[in-house]
Amino acid sequence: MKRAITFIIAAALSLALTGFAFAAGGQESGGTAAKGNLEASLKIDTSTLKSADNQLLLKPSTDNRKVPTRPSNPDALPETDPLHWYDMEWAGWNVTKTNIPASPKTGAIGKKIIFIVHGDHPWTTACINGAKKVADAYTMTFKPLSPNWDLAVQNQMIDQAINERPDMILLIPLDAKTAPQQARKINQAGIPLILFNTLPSAEAMNYAITWTGPDDFGQFRLLSRAFADELRKRNPGAKEIGVAYVQHAPGGSPYFARCFGPISELSGYAPEIKTLDKQAPGFEADKTMQLVSDWLTRFGKDLKGIVAADDSAQSLGISEALKKAGREDVLVVAAGNSKQGMDLVKEGKLFAITYQTAEGDGGLAVATAADWFNGKEIPLRKNLAQHIITKADVDGFYPPQW
Amino acid sequence: MRNIKNEKTGAADNRLLAWGDKYRIFVLFALVLVFMSIFAPRFFNVFNLTAIMKTVSMNACVAIGFTIVMISGQLDLSIGTVITFAGVLGLSLKQYLGYGGAVPVAILAGVLVGLVNGLLVAKAKINSFIVTLGTMTILQGAIYTITGGNSISLSTPDAFAVSDFLGMRLIPLVTPRVIITAVLVLVFELIMRKTQAGRNFYLVGGNRNTAWLAGIKTDNYLIAAFILSGGLAAVGGIFFAMESSAATLKLGDQSLMYVISATIIGGTAMSGGKGGVFRTVVAILTLEMLYTGIILFGLGNEVKIFIAGLILAFVVLYEAYAFYKHEKEVGKRPELVKEVLTLGLGKAGKVQGVRKSGGAA
Repeated sequence: MKRAITFIIAAALSLALTGFAFAAGGQESGGTAAKGNLEASLKIDTSTLKSADNQLLLKPSTDNRKVPTRPSNPDALPETDPLHWYDMEWAGWNVTKTNIPASPKTGAIGKKIIFIVHGDHPWTTACINGAKKVADAYTMTFKPLSPNWDLAVQNQMIDQAINERPDMILLIPLDAKTAPQQARKINQAGIPLILFNTLPSAEAMNYAITWTGPDDFGQFRLLSRAFADELRKRNPGAKEIGVAYVQHAPGGSPYFARCFGPISELSGYAPEIKTLDKQAPGFEADKTMQLVSDWLTRFGKDLKGIVAADDSAQSLGISEALKKAGREDVLVVAAGNSKQGMDLVKEGKLFAITYQTAEGDGGLAVATAADWFNGKEIPLRKNLAQHIITKADVDGFYPPQW
Repeated sequence: MRNIKNEKTGAADNRLLAWGDKYRIFVLFALVLVFMSIFAPRFFNVFNLTAIMKTVSMNACVAIGFTIVMISGQLDLSIGTVITFAGVLGLSLKQYLGYGGAVPVAILAGVLVGLVNGLLVAKAKINSFIVTLGTMTILQGAIYTITGGNSISLSTPDAFAVSDFLGMRLIPLVTPRVIITAVLVLVFELIMRKTQAGRNFYLVGGNRNTAWLAGIKTDNYLIAAFILSGGLAAVGGIFFAMESSAATLKLGDQSLMYVISATIIGGTAMSGGKGGVFRTVVAILTLEMLYTGIILFGLGNEVKIFIAGLILAFVVLYEAYAFYKHEKEVGKRPELVKEVLTLGLGKAGKVQGVRKSGGAA
């Protein structure tokens, strides 16, 4: 048996080595952009690109809030204080950048970028489509990789990406807390890095050129104000208005932003709105339906509103539970603008959703990479434009991106 | 004459099946390695192969214990949550105990989970599927309670130093974490193959009653199998978390199905009594090479899932065929038929006679 195993392994290694010799001969040369690229790259206009929903792919952000001063110990503040979440909400604005490579200023045309996402999902497909639109505009070599929500695989993909020596790596960290070591590794390999979509912990920002993506906290502060205004309208003079939160998967920034963002915002803007409960049932409609049915039994008429972290499966579950209980009075808002979410807004089952452009998210990351190759100044963070979709304007966002 | 031919074909079939049983995972490994090295861009280089070795380290470590549990005829569904639990616990305790104290505590926690599983299966005679499903759910709840839904990360210089050390390439393909896993695989392969205690796991898994009648303390072996599974899952989890400087709440979520697939593909029987630690680890390595190659080809995750499913389906079909052949041969002694043929006594009638009275032979 031993001889047979040794023979098989030896034969495999010899053949593999032969293969390597062939493969090495056929490997691509690391793309070096010609210096003349810069002028040509600067002439490329991506501002007119459109996403599948006929919106501008790269809408400029209208958020002009000033970055507040960091409290000495945010953790010491109560969770209802917006500044308790300072290191998440304002991550990236107060960091000491480490070993960030200078822009080559050779233009974006022909550059090779590796685009590592978090996992397979219709949102991710749309995000990659948006990124590709911008990459194609600059004729970049664009390689998307998806670890399917597996941290070990994402770490391996980072190793493989480093091995390929691309001009830049763009990464959605699977988890805010694992991002620092991942970003540090890429940074130490001397490869420029842009983090995007989910907010990493502040430490990771030290190693990245910038972060781009939705300002989840900002969006949810905006959404929660619209939510509070409508709740007040529906419950005039109420001293207490009970709401509950269907949370995102624990660990990532949306888990905090889409629950504690509104909680901390409402504590100042509408203190009569009280949190009855918050739970993370995952992204299955039936589990969310069960959770909401339990809430309706437990809190009865005290439950006036629900904030959901997701406008598709979670919102469908909420809508089904409310329908079964005959509770049309409960106001529901959610994140994202999936087809299900926008259909629910049209039907009046969701009051409002955030404009969470998936294509714009991917597009903005690649556009920022292009700006860096073109030698433009890159801000510490680049947020997507914020908007709240209601029944009044939902038609303008069809066909949905995902 | 036709019968003699059939006997010859049957014997050849049996030899092929036996050969397939013994070497299929090594053949698969060789095929995947050669194919990917030739065709997948940038597959066969030190950097990529080291990345593969690092990636398999955690699951290989976990698979050692899982294989022993399966050889013992049981299942351990809690391995994924033990990985997460050990990672989260170890990193949480690091600030109080340092890694010197936190790592043993995390491993001990895994051992305790295994002990509970083992006691419930062996002493309370509850099905291992139900017991470990329960443990898995309880642990998930405990993890969320401990962390409040927050992943744990360490960004201190000493944590980064340990992380860098564990991921450092000492020699081509080998990092300290790979060494830890390799040593564990070697030790447990030797224990399972060369010691009486190791062989007893096979006997317990093959037929628990017979093993008991042979004087083996079957309950102790079952408990030991679960303890090893829990402990080794914790080792995999804590060292992975240390290298990542972080432990997410989903750290081990993907490991369960991956390890089960690899263990079956590696030739360990779900009914117990058959299999091997080394074969499972080769299966993990094979799957990882396959997945990496698929990624390097630029193919999507759906292709990866499809191919993994295809391999698993093929192996299960093969196992079913082998089982069918085995059942057909039960009570027969093909080696006697072979002897008869070798001695030149293979006249149709005589051989037929041997076959007819095969059961008595």
